[in-house]
Amino acid sequence: MLELKDVKKSFGKNRILKGVDISVNKGDVVVILGPSGSGKTTLLRTINFLERADSGTMIFDGKTYDMKRAGKKEVNFVRKNTAFVFQNYCLFNNKTVLQNVTEGLIIGRKVPKAEAEVKAKAALEKVGMLDYADYYPSRLSGGMQQRVGIARAVAVSPDIILFDEPTSALDPELVGDVLKVIRKLAKEDITMIVVTHEMSFAEDVANKVIFMADGVVVEEGTPEEIFYRPKEERTRQFLSRIIPVDNYVI
Amino acid sequence: MRFDIVYLWKYFWKILPYLRVTLEYAGLSLLFGLIFGSILAAFKLQKYRIIRYFGVVYTAVFRSIPPVVLLFLVYYGLPQLLLNTVGIDIQNEEKILYVIITISILSMVSLSEVIRSAYTSIDKGQYEAAISSGLLPIQAMVRIVIPQMIYVALPNIGNIVIYLIKEGSLGFTIGLVDVFGKANSLNQNSYSNYILEIYTALALIYWFTSILLEKGMKLIERRVSYGR
Repeated sequence: MLELKDVKKSFGKNRILKGVDISVNKGDVVVILGPSGSGKTTLLRTINFLERADSGTMIFDGKTYDMKRAGKKEVNFVRKNTAFVFQNYCLFNNKTVLQNVTEGLIIGRKVPKAEAEVKAKAALEKVGMLDYADYYPSRLSGGMQQRVGIARAVAVSPDIILFDEPTSALDPELVGDVLKVIRKLAKEDITMIVVTHEMSFAEDVANKVIFMADGVVVEEGTPEEIFYRPKEERTRQFLSRIIPVDNYVI
Repeated sequence: MRFDIVYLWKYFWKILPYLRVTLEYAGLSLLFGLIFGSILAAFKLQKYRIIRYFGVVYTAVFRSIPPVVLLFLVYYGLPQLLLNTVGIDIQNEEKILYVIITISILSMVSLSEVIRSAYTSIDKGQYEAAISSGLLPIQAMVRIVIPQMIYVALPNIGNIVIYLIKEGSLGFTIGLVDVFGKANSLNQNSYSNYILEIYTALALIYWFTSILLEKGMKLIERRVSYGR
């Protein structure tokens, strides 16, 4: 459903992506792991054209896009059929929780207001935030804001949701709630790519793990393959430095 | 010399109608200042160095000219400049025009700084979240970024408006009759016999205007505070 071929991106002299290929099938939960600076976030951002790749091809829903030259209409089409969950939630601070979720429906996709609100409320219900529909983001905790961020992504029924380190800005005790919501979505066969440092989450939820380092995909496979039988030395090195955290009881 | 409260009252009401002129140039200068100030702010936020320098140099030049000097340059210089270069004759235009042009240029500089800092205070992620939600870039600006910029910029804009109202009193040097011009001529006509009453009345008018503006600003601020 989504395929990236030979994606390259530099910031000045800094080569962040040196030719990355990944492919995602419908219903997949793909987790991208890797040390900071490995290009995971940049890769995710190029999919949604938040960052323009210097070169690369994307096949999405059967259509092929030149990631450097895609025009405004193509970009907008991809954005309307994908959703992005940000590390810092990035809720619209001038909108209520409900409006945050309906904005993309009403304005972005021309869904009538009443219908949009029904969809938005269903999405908020799913993440357990319906009671806060009339709150402004400034009054919510980080974990609540991120759940709204996820509802905003889910409500538009995207073909794929892109999660950019959705829990790394949260207080440790709030991480569990957010991961619980993402797990729930994974069970509903929603296709997603998740950049995260939560190893136990990756192990439980992913059906494919991609390990990136220095702008390339070092290794990919099932969670068992990557976590217990890594082929590459670089992967072993990375995993040995991460202490597994198994104390999120969900 | 004794201070006669009756005359203070009398002059207050004589000067007050000219507040309309003061508010007219302040309002129009604010409008033009906001429009051109936004453009200047956009220049200063550009990644191309030449455009950015233009914004910075423009700011530096106009910030260092005293308002009254700028007013004289506009009043005596602009009509000739326009006549000689593009053949437009504005020599018989009303004097308020020159005041509006002068204060617009001045306010544009301070407003551009206010707008620039308001823009940089809004997390870029919200704009990104908006476009990735399927909003067009222009919709993301108008619906998400600009409303929040207004909240941030409002207190500073309020200060600038009050400053505009006061700077405009320089218009009397080219013969504009606003509240200050009127007070001046009333003073001359009464041979300075009531000078204290007249200028106290004028000060009161400026004072009331500022208070009303501040209250108005607070109301708008509350409307755009979004739960903060």
